[in-house]
Amino acid sequence: MNGKLWRPGGVNPALVTPFGKDQAIDEHAFRDLIRHVIDHVDGLVPCGTTGEFNYLAPEENKRLVQIAVEESAGKPVIAGTGAAGTKLAMDLTTNAQEAGATACLIVCPYFLHPSDKGIYQHYYTIARSHPDMPIILYNIPQVVDAYLPRRVVEDLADIPNIVALKDSSGNLTYTMEILEYAGDRINVLIGHDEVVVNALAGGASGMILASAQVYPEIWQIVLDAVTRGDLETARRNQRQVQKLSRIFCRYGGGVAVKQALRMIGIDAGQPRSPLKSVGGALLHEDRAEIQLELGKLGKIDSPAVEFITPSGPLESRFVDIGLNPEVIQFEKMRTGSGAVGTGTDVVQVDLLFGSKCGPAGEAWAYQITYPRHGFEALTVILEPNLTVRPSALIIPTNALKDLRQANMIYGPVQNAVAKALVGKLAEGVVPQEFASSDVVFVLTSVHPHALNRRVLHHNTYEAANVAIDVAFTEVEANG
Amino acid sequence: MVNKKPTWFKGIFPALVTPFSADDQVDEETYRELIRFVLPHVNGVVPCGTTGEFSSMTLDEKMQAISICLDEVAGKVPVLAGTGCQSTRETLELTGWAQRAGVAGALVVAPYFLKPSFNEVFDHYEQIDKIGLPMVLYNIPQCSGTHYKWWTAEGMGLALDNVIGLKDSSGDMPFFTAALEKLRGTIGLFVGHDEVVGAALLAGADGAILASANLIPDIWQEIYQAACEQDTEFVRSRQKEIQILTRLVVRKGGPQAVKEGLRMMGMVTMSDSRLPFMQGGEFEREDYEDLRTQLENLGRMPRRRAILGTQEVELAMPADLPFNHQDLTMCVGEGFAGPPFSEVAHIDLLLGRKEGPVGRALERAENEPRPGHELVIINKHPLTMLVPTVTVRGEKARQLVYEEAASGLNLALEHAIAQRNLPEEILEEICLIANVFVHPAASIRQRVKMNNYKAMRAAIRKAIETRPSLQELIAEKDAARHPFRYSP
Repeated sequence: MNGKLWRPGGVNPALVTPFGKDQAIDEHAFRDLIRHVIDHVDGLVPCGTTGEFNYLAPEENKRLVQIAVEESAGKPVIAGTGAAGTKLAMDLTTNAQEAGATACLIVCPYFLHPSDKGIYQHYYTIARSHPDMPIILYNIPQVVDAYLPRRVVEDLADIPNIVALKDSSGNLTYTMEILEYAGDRINVLIGHDEVVVNALAGGASGMILASAQVYPEIWQIVLDAVTRGDLETARRNQRQVQKLSRIFCRYGGGVAVKQALRMIGIDAGQPRSPLKSVGGALLHEDRAEIQLELGKLGKIDSPAVEFITPSGPLESRFVDIGLNPEVIQFEKMRTGSGAVGTGTDVVQVDLLFGSKCGPAGEAWAYQITYPRHGFEALTVILEPNLTVRPSALIIPTNALKDLRQANMIYGPVQNAVAKALVGKLAEGVVPQEFASSDVVFVLTSVHPHALNRRVLHHNTYEAANVAIDVAFTEVEANG
Repeated sequence: MVNKKPTWFKGIFPALVTPFSADDQVDEETYRELIRFVLPHVNGVVPCGTTGEFSSMTLDEKMQAISICLDEVAGKVPVLAGTGCQSTRETLELTGWAQRAGVAGALVVAPYFLKPSFNEVFDHYEQIDKIGLPMVLYNIPQCSGTHYKWWTAEGMGLALDNVIGLKDSSGDMPFFTAALEKLRGTIGLFVGHDEVVGAALLAGADGAILASANLIPDIWQEIYQAACEQDTEFVRSRQKEIQILTRLVVRKGGPQAVKEGLRMMGMVTMSDSRLPFMQGGEFEREDYEDLRTQLENLGRMPRRRAILGTQEVELAMPADLPFNHQDLTMCVGEGFAGPPFSEVAHIDLLLGRKEGPVGRALERAENEPRPGHELVIINKHPLTMLVPTVTVRGEKARQLVYEEAASGLNLALEHAIAQRNLPEEILEEICLIANVFVHPAASIRQRVKMNNYKAMRAAIRKAIETRPSLQELIAEKDAARHPFRYSP
């Protein structure tokens, strides 16, 4: 095709838009963000979906493009200029051109669900009225609620200044279909952070990604490796950012990226309302997960933690819950301990069985009324509404500092202890009359940085089994 | 237009569940018991419908179930048999057999799983039509994966001589309204989505084929009669009373929900659904508790005498629950209710004598300051303490815990006493400690209140009844799936 304009490729971050507490754009922070990434990227994308373009006034959109151009060090600036209606998108495109943008990224018109004809006309009108501006089509059905139809893309690709399509769907059958039908005339950029290697290997020319402002250098390695045909390297690099990419794509988008940027030292401000910094689409648990993943990537220092596993005589480990060794011995309570795993996957379980009519019962009821911050007791359940008998409480030995840690207990540990306990009842190791006569305390020591829920579940299950065996054999031997 | 609607095709038809025996055969005796239970209240019955798990039954089993049904009904009401299968060949075989067996009509589901085009669907029905048995078209896109278009329904309703009706279980009111527009007076139009029955009847539907009509056939008959008399107010208010029950049945497990409901109400030999449906699966345990709450609030739960502490009292309790006494030293019950995620309620409840570990823990707690966890007595009779599980930070959290959750708990206590889960006679001697989890990100006040209501109703019952039982736990050990075991 003759007369085609500049075509995009390479690694391009879909920049977040920093807002201050007053919800105004924080230009200073935006410049900082660009300076942070500019050396590692091939272009900049202000006012994309990650940039909350749909919450920006036209003049704000233009201003952000201007700043991006000023800070771009000569690299291309791809301005998001899409809107629900054609007139608005036209005006934004004109503004971007005036501001010096290299190209415009225009999202499929949304909300009122225009026909194929309407979608074609939308792009046609904008492209024809800005013949010198390279236009990038943008498919993101997660928010548009519709795909940019392949047949429309096929037709639009004939327009000289329509130069590329960004596909954020993550649906590789769609990506491949576009490459098949329009790949001879336009470039395809992958916009879904979870399937970058796959799309590049399939023929995509580059990427526009939310995560490319957090770890652009990894995406450069991936792009380079795929280009050289070194899929092994590409896969390995993508794999190490897979969970973070998933969190960015599925659990909060720009909101999650802003949290990640803050952790690595860039003040990316707040999102605009109705989005919340955390506690909305981005759960507190996932924010903590981002922190640990960034630590693993070496982007931040993992916060130092203290991790203590109770040691010393087993019977002395229950003093905090009001049961001292003398009482334990006098009442002939059964205790057991087990530890399994290494490093951050280590789990220690110290448990105690005692009659619900004696001091153990008193202590148990007391714990329910006394949720110590960070050490809240949790009943042992197989799943919600399947409470284990004998009634058992898990008490963490290390303070739970955030909801992510709490969710490692509430879930994997809870279920693993429950399975062990019920299993031992089924086997007869724990006599079945204990189900109604006794209560159980389970002190669990789980590393604050434990990340792998499957391993945690497995280790807790094994440790609990050992602890129960100890509790129900030693006493017999002594007796 | 010709009126093809037979006079018998109107009113309330329960979509009968199919009971299975311990060796997984059709349980004839219980099936007959179910039919006798519903028969006085209904205008017809549907064996081998979706609720009858037709899709999990062999051809022989379906024939057996339909035969039993015909025999037990003995002509008192019409039998509309589910005979739709995935292929045309098998549908022809079963429908032809059903005609010879003497059913009044066949309910034929759209061919499912592989998704034939509309002309293939039309041709499918055209072939069945040639058998000459009155046929009811059956639209249930939630399961079949294919949605009739109104023009498909209209086309078949007009063109096929033996199509006498349409059952629409989609709950899609624009579709059903189009069917009324095009076909009312030509064929019978039945609604099959329990949640919108009142609306559909008042809009002109001829009747309803319903899963929940296994449980409450009499109430549906009242609603149908009122709709015939255009008593709009009665239809609305009566349906509102059973709306939660219908929602549970339609959305949370269908046959399994109905079967567990029937067991609770007294049909103790009623089986579970066939695998892969099971207790605590699609019909989750919190749904079981919810269904029980609904049946109790409707006055449908049987009562029996049991020993609590030192007293013999009357309790509302499912017929299939083995229970005769509880010592009240310290009873532990758990309740979990959602959705949505941020507004879930999770309650750990202690219930026990004041002169015992629970009473002493409560007394001790009253005299100790708990910074960030202010404990409050929310009720004096029974003496009930609310303990927030997580530290209460900020005014919004304070309001959610101490106002919304607390009022849900108190409403649950009030209802539990009135419905005899928590008998008046023991209130003086016991106290309760409710450890209440409210998520720090919760926003929707009404859901916090209602989820805590539901969780507390469940927790009270479970504490008194020592549920889950050890047998249940052992049976569930491997199948249990903790929802928060999964990672982002």
